[in-house]
Amino acid sequence: MLVVKGAKIYPVTGEVLEDGMMRIDAQGKISQIGRSIPLEVGDQVLDFTGKVIIPGLVDAHTHVGMWGDGEGRAGYDGNESVRSITGEVRALDAVNPRQISFTGAREGGITTVQILPGSGNPIGGLGLACKTWGSVIDEMLVKNPSGLKGATGENPKRAHGQAQKQAPATRMAVASMIRTYFEDAKVYGEKKEQAQAEGRPFETDLNLESGLMVLAKQIPFRVHAHRHDDIVTAIRICEEFDIDYTIEHCTDGHLIAEYLGRKQITAMVGPGLSASGKVETAAMTDENPAILARHGVKVCLMTDHPFLNCRYFLQYAAIAHKHGLSFADTLQAITINPAQALGIEDRVGSLEAGKDADFVVLGGEPFSYKGAVLETYIEGRLVWQREIY
Amino acid sequence: MLGIKNVKVETIADGTIEAGGIVIRDGKIAEVGREVDLSGCARVIDGRGRVVTPGLIDAHTHVGLSESGVGSAGRDTNEDTHPLTPGLSVRDGINMQDQAFESFRRAGITAAGVFPGSGNILGGTALALKCRGMIVDEAVLKDPVGMKAALGENPKACYGARQQSPATRMGSAALLRGALQRAEDYLAKVSLGKGEVPGDRDGIREALVPVIKGEQPLIIHAHRHDDILTALRICGEFGIKCMLHHVTDGHLVKDIIKREKISCAVGPTLHYGSKLENKDRDFRTPVVFHREGIPFCLITDHPVVDGRNLLLTASIATQWGLPDQAALRAVTLSAAEHLGIEDRVGSIAIGKDADLVLWSANPLEFTTFADMTIIDGEIVYERGVL
Repeated sequence: MLVVKGAKIYPVTGEVLEDGMMRIDAQGKISQIGRSIPLEVGDQVLDFTGKVIIPGLVDAHTHVGMWGDGEGRAGYDGNESVRSITGEVRALDAVNPRQISFTGAREGGITTVQILPGSGNPIGGLGLACKTWGSVIDEMLVKNPSGLKGATGENPKRAHGQAQKQAPATRMAVASMIRTYFEDAKVYGEKKEQAQAEGRPFETDLNLESGLMVLAKQIPFRVHAHRHDDIVTAIRICEEFDIDYTIEHCTDGHLIAEYLGRKQITAMVGPGLSASGKVETAAMTDENPAILARHGVKVCLMTDHPFLNCRYFLQYAAIAHKHGLSFADTLQAITINPAQALGIEDRVGSLEAGKDADFVVLGGEPFSYKGAVLETYIEGRLVWQREIY
Repeated sequence: MLGIKNVKVETIADGTIEAGGIVIRDGKIAEVGREVDLSGCARVIDGRGRVVTPGLIDAHTHVGLSESGVGSAGRDTNEDTHPLTPGLSVRDGINMQDQAFESFRRAGITAAGVFPGSGNILGGTALALKCRGMIVDEAVLKDPVGMKAALGENPKACYGARQQSPATRMGSAALLRGALQRAEDYLAKVSLGKGEVPGDRDGIREALVPVIKGEQPLIIHAHRHDDILTALRICGEFGIKCMLHHVTDGHLVKDIIKREKISCAVGPTLHYGSKLENKDRDFRTPVVFHREGIPFCLITDHPVVDGRNLLLTASIATQWGLPDQAALRAVTLSAAEHLGIEDRVGSIAIGKDADLVLWSANPLEFTTFADMTIIDGEIVYERGVL
C-alpha cells in the first residue's frame, strides 16, 4: 500500500499536520491520515519532506473538454444555441477526455471538475461532475447529472435576440422563458404522474424531464448571472418554484452582498483574473469573493475554463486571498465548498479517511509563487508531474 | 522634489540596492543609491522596507482600443473592412478614459505598447504611451513604434469567411509581399523624382515607406512555427527590420530567431489554446528564450488576458524555471528595449523618467500589492497605506 509522508498536510476539514502521513488503499481511498502511521511490510513510501500537500482542487464551473481548447472550431461544443430552451442536451455527450484542457486541469492541481453547457440559452442543458484523469468520460464521472444550467443577462440576448432575431431579445423574455419552462415541466410532471397512475402510455419529453428533476430537487438549477439585477431575478424565479440553485459567476455580488448573505446562497465566483469584456461585468472586482464570504455567502471559486485557463486556478485563489479572502476561506473555496455545492463531499474536497486519495503536492505554501504544483494524484495515482524547462 | 527612503531598490539594469533611496527632480530620477540627499525634497516617502521597481511595461496591449466594461461600443481594435490598412494609427482610436488605465496603474503598469488588432495583414502603426492623463497626444512616449502585421489564422478567419483574400496562409503572405513590393517600387520612383505624379499617391505605399527605409520595424503577429518563418522570410527578402509578437511556437524555431537576432514579445501565456495555431501555448517559450539569450518580454495582449495580470504572468514563469531577476526584467527593461523606449523608461537610473512602483513585499509574490505608482514623478495611484 501507498504511504505518503514528510509533507505539511492541509486536510482542510481537519487541523493542519506539520509532518503528516497518509495511507492509501488499493482502491485509491485514504485509509488513514494523521501525524504518525506505523509502516507495514510491503508499504511503498512516498517521501515529500519539505513539501506541502492539499486536497485535489474542485473547480465547480468549467467547460473543460468541450470548448475546443487547442482544437479550433472543430472541438467547440459549448452552446446548442440554435434554440433557446435545450433542457435535453447533456455535457456528457460533448466532453473529449483527451483534450489538452484535462492536462491543464491536472497541471493546475484540479482533480474534479463540474462541466456545464454554455450560457447562450436561458435553459442550457445538463452538467456533470467528473475526475480529470481517464479516457472514457463515463468512467470518470463522480455525479451525473450534476445540475441544470440556466442563463440570464447579455449572453442569451446576444445569442438569440441579436444574432437570430428570436426570443429572448430582452431580460424580460429571458426571465419569462425560464419561468414558462418550469411551469411547463410542472404540468408535464402532473400529466406524467396521472398517466402512470392510470397505466396509460406516456410520451416522454426529454427537455422537460430535466426541469422535472430540478422541481423534484434531485439536481439544482445553476444559473449564470453577472449583473446584480440578473442575480436578483435568478433568485426570484428559483424561490417562486422552490428549487435548489447556485448562482454562477455572481460578478456584481459585492454590490448586493447583504441581500445574498440573507438568502444564504451558494455562489460559484469567477472566472478570476479576467478582463471585463461586457457591460454586465463592468463592476468586476478582485475583492468580490472576500466581500461575499464576509456576508455569509458560501463562496466557491471557479475558472469557467477556458475563460480563465484552469491551469491557473490556484493563482486565481491567491489573488482572491490577496484581496481579503482569509487563508482558510480561500482553501475551502477551491476544495470542500465546491465539493459540497456539487453534493460529492463524501468523496472529494478534503483529505479524510474514507475519501478518494486525490491530492496535490506543492513546492511551498499554497497561494505563494514558491508553492507551484509539483505533482497531482487522483485516487492514489500520479496523473501529472512538473517538468522544469 | 520627491524623495523615497528606506526601500529595497530593484534597478533592473544595475542590480539590487538592499536598503537605499531615490530622489526625483522634474519628473526624472535625480539620485538613486544607498545614501541619497533628501534635504531638498518637498515630500519624503518612508518605504519602511518596501521594494521599489521601475514601472511595469506591457509591450503589447489593446488598452483604450478594446475598452473594458462597455461592450461593443468601445471596440476599435480591428478595421476589418480591408486586409491592408497600414495608414491607420492607433492614436486615433485610444480612449484614455478606458477604465483599464486605472486598473493598470493599480497593478504597477506605467507604460504600454498599444497595437491594432490582428485581423488585417497590415493593421496600422502602433505606439507606446504612459498610462496617465486624458490627452493621448500628451501620453505618447513613442509613435510609431512600428507597423503591425499579422499572419496565420486571424486574417484568414476575418476575410476568407467572406470569400475575400486572404483565405489561406499563401494568400496572406502574397498580400504582405505585394504591399511591400509596391512600396519599394514607389520609393525607387520617388527617389528618381518621379513619385509626385497625380494618381500615384496611395495610402498603402506611403505608409509603408518608413518600413522599407528601415525607419520602422514590421511588428508581426505570428503564433505557429511556420508563420514565424514566413515572417522572417518576407522581412529578409526586403531587408527590413522585423519584430515578432506572440511567438507561441518560438521554442521550436529558436535557432533561426537567435541567428536573426529578433526581439520577441511573448504571450499572452495565461490564455488558453483558443486556436489551433496556439494549441501549444506554454511557458516553455520564454524559459527557452531566456536560456538561449534571445531578447524577449512578456505580454498580456490586454484584454485577451487582463493587463493587471502582467506581473502575475512573470511570477508564474518563475515556476517553470525563469529566474526571478529575469522575470522582473521581462516586464520592465526588456519591454522598454523591445519598444525602443529604454532611454526613458524600464530601469531605475539617473536621468530616466521617474516611473516607479512601491511594492508591499517581493513583487513576484502573488499576494503583494502595488502600494504606490509614480509616473513622471507624480503619484498616480496610492493604496493608502504609506
